[in-house]
Amino acid sequence: MPARENILARIRAANKAANVADVMDSSVADRLASPPISPLPKLEWDPEGQFKLRGHESASTLDEIAQIDELPRAVTRYLSKNTLPTKLVCWPEFIDLPWSAEGIQIESRGAIGDDKVGLTGSYCAIAETGTLVLLSGQESHATTSLLPETHIAVIRRSRIVKTMEDAWQLIRGEVVSLPRQVSFISGPSRTADIEMTLVYGAHGPFRVHVIILDQ
Amino acid sequence: MRVGLFVTCVVDLMRPSIGLAAVKLLERADCEVIFPENQTCCGQPAYNAGDRLTAQQLARKVISEFADVDYVVIPSGSCGGMIKTHYEELLSDLPEYRVKAQWLAARTYELTDFLVNVVDMDSFDTTFQGAIAYHDSCAGLRELNIKEQPRKLLSHLAHVDLKEMAGAEQCCGFGGTFSVKYGDISSRIVDLKCDDLEATEVDALVLGDLGCMLNIEGKLRRRGNHKTKVLHIAEVLTGLVGEETE
Amino acid sequence: MELTSHQFKSVSSAKLKDVKLQKALYKAKDGFVVPRAKVVAELDNFEEIRQAAADVRDHGLAHLDVYLEEWEKQAQAAGTIVHWAESYEELNALVVKIAQDNQVKKIIKSKSMVGEETGLNRYVEGHGIEVKETDLGEYIIQQAGEHPSHIIAPATHKSKDDVADLFAEKHQRPRLDDAEKLTHEAREILRPHFLDADMGITGANFMIAETGSTVILTNEGNGRMTTTMPRVHVAISSIEKCIPTLDDFALMMRLLPRSATGQVISNYVSMTTGPKRAKDNDGPGEFHVIILDVGRTRVLGSDLRDALRCIRCGACMNHCPVYQNVGGHAYGWVYPGPIGSVLTPAYNGIENAIDLPNAATLCNQCGVVCPVKIPLPDLMRKLREKQYERNLKSSAEKWSLRLWAYLALRPKLYSIVTRIMARVGKLLGGDSRRINHLLFGGKDWTRHRDLPAPRGRTFRDIYLNRNKTTNR
Repeated sequence: MPARENILARIRAANKAANVADVMDSSVADRLASPPISPLPKLEWDPEGQFKLRGHESASTLDEIAQIDELPRAVTRYLSKNTLPTKLVCWPEFIDLPWSAEGIQIESRGAIGDDKVGLTGSYCAIAETGTLVLLSGQESHATTSLLPETHIAVIRRSRIVKTMEDAWQLIRGEVVSLPRQVSFISGPSRTADIEMTLVYGAHGPFRVHVIILDQ
Repeated sequence: MRVGLFVTCVVDLMRPSIGLAAVKLLERADCEVIFPENQTCCGQPAYNAGDRLTAQQLARKVISEFADVDYVVIPSGSCGGMIKTHYEELLSDLPEYRVKAQWLAARTYELTDFLVNVVDMDSFDTTFQGAIAYHDSCAGLRELNIKEQPRKLLSHLAHVDLKEMAGAEQCCGFGGTFSVKYGDISSRIVDLKCDDLEATEVDALVLGDLGCMLNIEGKLRRRGNHKTKVLHIAEVLTGLVGEETE
Repeated sequence: MELTSHQFKSVSSAKLKDVKLQKALYKAKDGFVVPRAKVVAELDNFEEIRQAAADVRDHGLAHLDVYLEEWEKQAQAAGTIVHWAESYEELNALVVKIAQDNQVKKIIKSKSMVGEETGLNRYVEGHGIEVKETDLGEYIIQQAGEHPSHIIAPATHKSKDDVADLFAEKHQRPRLDDAEKLTHEAREILRPHFLDADMGITGANFMIAETGSTVILTNEGNGRMTTTMPRVHVAISSIEKCIPTLDDFALMMRLLPRSATGQVISNYVSMTTGPKRAKDNDGPGEFHVIILDVGRTRVLGSDLRDALRCIRCGACMNHCPVYQNVGGHAYGWVYPGPIGSVLTPAYNGIENAIDLPNAATLCNQCGVVCPVKIPLPDLMRKLREKQYERNLKSSAEKWSLRLWAYLALRPKLYSIVTRIMARVGKLLGGDSRRINHLLFGGKDWTRHRDLPAPRGRTFRDIYLNRNKTTNR
């Protein structure tokens, strides 16, 4: 692979020629082994309050439930309020809840082009920016939060962390290696590419509804 | 204290009243004003044109001319910025001058910065009155942090009403040789500045840099606005305005 | 992409007269500048964070070889196929090879400025493979057969009416009249392509050495689509995008969306590490990353290396008084505005973009908004020095500078000449005290504005005489 070797050799020669001192105290090996945290802004808010505030700013809607078996009712409430279809696809973790009692048709699978509503969990959430963190995997299809026009996401209250740095800390502790995709989602899809006019539903969901679960 | 006045080449040639006003202000603050007669230019035009050698020669000349003063005061943000923020880099390959450049930089003040932060001047002898806007010149603002100083000085003038204009911090489009090399663009930028100024409805635009001054005043007059004055802050603080000084 | 920077002067003058463009630029300016200021002000220690980001970028660049090797090791461990390219041709050929090896007929593409550099779309299409741009702005530009005029808002030079006409013609549908309807029509048209494309191409905002990941930021979700739906995903990036760790990425994320669009975070931040895992239900079966070095290592070894810290937010152009008035196309290459005025000559040869480093007022608005503290005016000045050293300046400029320097270094002569100039200038100004017709170099001043006339005497003259009088 001559390109690889040539490029690396040129980088070494260039850095030698430029002869600049490294501004960091820690070595490369140290930095990779125990990544330091850079200065953070003031985080003087309660994480849940901040998450809700940012979620609202990013045009998500919010609801709260105390127990997981309240989810079907909460989903129904949201769908009927917004006159949305009652046919869903979801992640496997939610399929055993009492959906039929609410008149909801639900399937546990990844979304395809025609699915209108997708229900997912989330790995954690970041309060600072009002962001949901989803990890792709066998039990957490990436398409469910992407293809449908409406994305409903469940986040456990205890999984709302302050910053992205905290999210990495959680991931490093709980996940052996990063999944194929880590998706940070902050509200519905949008664009302002035509005359800076904000429009929702560019390619992803038009709506993101976040349901905070107590336990 | 001995205060060297670096009057700048443009003030010297185009608007001597600003230099006279600066002298008056410094004398009012009980400074002994030293005016090295051989001063010409700080070297910024050469520096910005890429002619490093000429810029170095002029920088060395300035350094030697102001070797025995306590302070150097300059009625211009851009020449002040040149000396305070660029001389050291410019002379970095001449170790002896590099140290002198640091010495000079530490003693050099833009006029309003000097009046506020060194001599703390708070009363002025001026007949000037009217509504004004202040344009923050780029080098003064972004190289020397000149923002509050002129406003503080102007706040001491009982008959001056400062109205903040939109885009006060926006470049006027002068940029030295840019104004002639890219005249079409420069002209558009200064037109927008004039629009913002005229929308503010004031008697005068006040600023602290000659390049911006000639550019904005020249554009206003070409647009047919003969009413809005364009004044250096030293002129406003002393009442020494334009022709009346001679 | 073809380089047309040598036409800067004539193109920029034409752009100033383009009324539609001027309207669009005016809108874009407020749309970027105001929201950025708001979210930057929310950070109590923005300057500290900026400095940290600049330091992290510097550190990463100082050990770029080690970090790239680490990135490659981690990426390969996750199943990513890594390629390196030393030329645009090499990168383009690699993409086509990957496509052909996988019997790819259709590609969906998320915005990539590296792809703009290499002229990827045209090359790939030349090999009979269909490419669909999916970022709305890029899609508009592709339909119109144009180049982006801004690195994060590629179609910012186009008005809604332009887009309406374009879509009506290209989509063969009734003309729509508002941004929302137009956006949703593009969604409808592009959705089937997302579902049936064989391959996705994206750029990479960052490559993270710690994990061997690539990251893209989008607001539309096209990035997630492109990295998830097709069976093959190719990310194209360049060496300087590599940063050390996930926490360093978190730091960049506090700055990039804020500086770019005035958001606290982009809607979708998608971090990809390897292809679909064995038990995954979705994601591409193959994931390739191509790392480009064209010009980068040359800049790394030069006094322009600070420019490599760039994280492509576009704040420098959004705040540039020149860009704000002429738009991106005048700059004649991929990167407009201040960063383009440095990168274009740095990557393409100083002699091929003479105007760009000079077409700046050095107002340093770019420097103060840059989230990684690139001293853009200083870099433009360095390029001017290189032009001067290589004798690339116009003779008129050179000779007027020389004449002026000759005088400025001879104070006695200088005082005589300026005394004459002050007197002549006063005469020229006459009663109006304005000069409106200068000759030679001066006519470029008076073509656009008057010159307030000198007052007849120099300061030196008045002051020294005054002192003589008082001393007697």
